[in-house]
Order: sequence, then C-alpha cells, then structure tokens
Amino acid sequence: MAVSWRFWFVLPMVVALGTVVLFPTVYLFWMSTQHWLVTDPERFFIGLDNFARLTGGADFWQSLRVTGAYLVLSTVLMLGLGMGLALTFARAGTGWMRAIVVMPLVIPPVVAGFTWRFLLNGEIGFLGAYLLPMAGLDLNPLAEPRAALVSVVIADVWSRTPFMFLIFLAALQSIPRDFYEAARMDGANPFHEFFFVTLPLLKGALFVAIMFRLVDAINTFELIYVMTRGGPGRATQILSIFGWRTAFQELDFGQAAALGVIMLAITLAGALLVFRRFVRGQVGAA
Amino acid sequence: MMSAPRRYDRALTAIRWGFLGAVMVFVVFPLIWLALASLKTRAASLEVPPRLIFTPSLEAYEKIVASGLVGAFANSFTIAVTNVILSLAIGVPAAYALARMRGAAQENLSFWVLSIRLAPLFAIILPLYVLFKGLGLLDTRLAVAMAHLTLTLPLSVWLLMTYFRAMPVDLDEAAMLDGARPWQTLYMVIVPIARPMIASVAVIVFIFSWNEFLLAFFLTSRDAQTVPVVVAGLAGTMSFDWPLIAAISICSMVPALIFVGFAQRHIVEGLASGAVK
Repeated sequence: MAVSWRFWFVLPMVVALGTVVLFPTVYLFWMSTQHWLVTDPERFFIGLDNFARLTGGADFWQSLRVTGAYLVLSTVLMLGLGMGLALTFARAGTGWMRAIVVMPLVIPPVVAGFTWRFLLNGEIGFLGAYLLPMAGLDLNPLAEPRAALVSVVIADVWSRTPFMFLIFLAALQSIPRDFYEAARMDGANPFHEFFFVTLPLLKGALFVAIMFRLVDAINTFELIYVMTRGGPGRATQILSIFGWRTAFQELDFGQAAALGVIMLAITLAGALLVFRRFVRGQVGAA
Repeated sequence: MMSAPRRYDRALTAIRWGFLGAVMVFVVFPLIWLALASLKTRAASLEVPPRLIFTPSLEAYEKIVASGLVGAFANSFTIAVTNVILSLAIGVPAAYALARMRGAAQENLSFWVLSIRLAPLFAIILPLYVLFKGLGLLDTRLAVAMAHLTLTLPLSVWLLMTYFRAMPVDLDEAAMLDGARPWQTLYMVIVPIARPMIASVAVIVFIFSWNEFLLAFFLTSRDAQTVPVVVAGLAGTMSFDWPLIAAISICSMVPALIFVGFAQRHIVEGLASGAVK
C-alpha cells in the first residue's frame, strides 16, 4: 500500500527518461555494430569493425590528444580561477560584483564562442587585429594551431568558470569560522590557513568540480564549432567535433555511434572513479 | 605579535580587490564590445583600429526583424516554456516521491537520474536523430522540446528532491492524518511551501533549454531552429555580418538576464546547492 503512490508519482519520470535517454543509449550500442552509411541503403551487422576502423585512423587519436590537452588546460585554469574567486568573495567584493562574475554562466555558449571569435579575429578583432599587434605579438590567434587551442580554452574559461566558483563558494561558506580563529591563535598566517585549513576541507568540492569539468569538456561542442570548426587543420578538433564530422560530413552513422560509445565509456569511467572515491552523497545535478 | 598577520591582511586586501577588478574587466569587456558591435553599421564593424566613438545605428536590429529571424526566438521560447511545464509536471511528483522513499529503490533511482547528467550528449544524439526521423518529427519544436527533457528533467528532479528532502516529514504526516491523499498533500501542502524553489527551478530549466545548442542543432534544419542554432549558422556563412550576429546574440541574452536579475539569489543558491548538497 505505502509503496504504491510513490510508484505512480515516479512512473512518468521513468517513462520520459526511458524514452529520451535509456532507449537511445541502448540503441547507440546497436548502431555502433552496424554498417550504417547514410548514402547506402544497406545496413548489416559488422561486429566491432566500426571500432576497429575508428581506432585504426589517425583522426581519432588526434582528437583524443586534443581533447586531453583541452581538458587539462581548461581544468587547471578554471579550478585556479574559480578557487581564487571563491576565496576572494569570501572576504571581499559586493553582491552586484558576484552577479556580474556569475553572468557568463547563463549566456548561451554559442554567444560566448562568437564573442571571443569576434574579439580574436585576425583581421578586424579588437584583440586579434589591434591589441596583440600593438603589444608586438604578431600572431593570428585563431589561425595558428597552438594559439587556437589556447583561444578556445580561454573562451570556455570565460563561459564556465562561474560554475566552479559557485561550487567552491558554497563549500567555503560551510566551513565554520572557528576553524580559522583556532588556526590564528596557533599563529597561522593566511598561507598556512589556506593550505592546512581551507584546502583539506575543500577536497570534496574540488573533486565534484573536476568531475563536472570532465563531463563538460567531453560535451563541449558549440563553442569550438563557432570559433574554429575544429581548425586550423585539426588543431582544435575535440571528440565531439570529430563525431559531428563523422556523422554529418562523412555520413558514417555506424562509426559515429562507435565514437559515441567510446565517449560514453570515457565519461562514465572518469566520473565514476571520482564519484566512488571522493564524493558519494555530495554531488548534485546542476 | 599582531603586526605580522595585520601586514598580511592589508596586502591581501589589496590583492583581493585588484584580482576582482581584473576579473571584472575579463568578464565584462567582451560583452560591452559585443553590445557596441551590435550598434555599428556593417562597414563600421570592419574598421581597424576600431572606433570607440561612433554614431550608433539600429540597422542590425532592424535586420533581425526584416530577415524573419524573429521566428527563431518564437521557437526557442515555445520549446523552453514546454520544457518548464513538462519538467515540473513530471518532476515535482517524482522528486517528492523520491524524497519520501527510503532504501535501495530510492538510491538506485536517484543515482540513475544523476548519472544522466554525467553522460555525454553526443551519445544520445544519433539515436534520437534516427528515432525522430522515423517518427517524421525531425525539424519540429516537439522533437527539440522532448530532447531537451534529457537535460531539464534530471536537473529539476535533482534540485527539487534535495529541497523536498530537507522539508520536515511532520507536514505530510499531519496532512495525511487529516485524511489527505498523497497527491492532495503534495499540491495543497508541499507545493505552496516550496513555491520559491519551484519558481527558481522553472527559471533554471528555461535558461538551460533556451541556451542549449547541440540537440537543437542536430534535430533541426530550418523551421524549428532555435536562436543559438541560428547564431551558429550565421557565423558559418561566408558573407559575414558581424553586427547582425552581435545583435542576435544580445537579444538571445535578454531572457536569461531578466530572469537572473529577477531571481538571481535563488538561482545562484539553487545551482550551487544542487551541485554540492
């Protein structure tokens, strides 16, 4: 009796998520085993051939490397900046300053990408065509492989750091003030306080942040699509861009599905590793 | 004895405000530049060095209306509102039931809901594309709205569940003792109290759906294109119209900024508590 109403309350959600999430995920695995070219009406089972062809090509490994570099660079910058902001706002700053710092989070990433492309453009951009040359840096940031990768990371940092900041701020505010007072009484200076009080207590939040960064980096698409389309060459072609190319330019749905399976495996493995070890019971969905 | 910490404090205060100032410039400057660009004529937008003082022109904004791009705003709005309605209609009862469940069923279900947030969207896009193509729903608002539920439903269930769980069970028990059925308890006791939280979840869902690109991009081709998809499309054309794209970008930020100005505190708290609780 007691269970029944809960069952009916949860049922619509299970049906809805089953339709738009569970079914597609199962279907993805099936697709990845098919010879499935959009241009070819014939479809048949080819086992793991899609995976073999995918991992046999240089494009996949190149994308994996780019994704790795993108992930590491953006994680370091976002965690550093987000932590710096949280520590700063715990002691200084005003409400409206916080509102402004958080603002990029609600701005569509497409707009973030476009804005930075506009700023960095080598012919008319304020940074790319005016400020950088004036500073003696003769480079077109979006046209050179390394600079392009750094450029998309900077745009992503602009767009997504507020989320890291909010995670750290919430965690910081839950640290009792007495801890700091006790540390001061023992003669701790602000650096001691950070490394021996704050940082250990932020460990949980830190891993939550890393987990979300991993997921978001794998999901990043439009920012790079708008800024560079994965170029120049393949310098900023992360896995999601590679997947879009495979599916909608080479029209190979089978191989793109295999890539989807690999991306799913990477994210879930990474997230579960972090989740199981450090943050069980602390994580949320935002 | 006290002078050393004090000296540190003074230096730290200076560093804090300096750092904040630098971050403010980093955050705000690109947006100001975008807003300025949207007020330039196409020719003026191509000048180097760029001019800071110029006669503003509404040409780009007029072009949005003239070239029929308003339809994209209608699409984005319809899809986002549909998502708010669906994710609350489905999410509120589910979150309440999960909050009042104990044991393995609750743990597995909520872990499943959470794990959806961790799955890469790219993994479900191709199957959804094939599914909607089979149903003849490609390039419709309905398809995009349903696809967005993959993001917005788990998000609202999680945020609401965390919130409901913090509400005392006494309330429910009192209502049930008075003979209220579970759905009466939910809609006459719980929902009225949770109204501020439900409102901020509605805002968060609206913004997520409004800003979402990947699903809308893959599932639409013309009729049902949302604003972000149109922005990306224009940014890919050869005849680059910077002011037009800047103007659409500015317009695309308006709902988010209004909502955030109106409910910023709640949203920030909602997002942060959803992440860490």
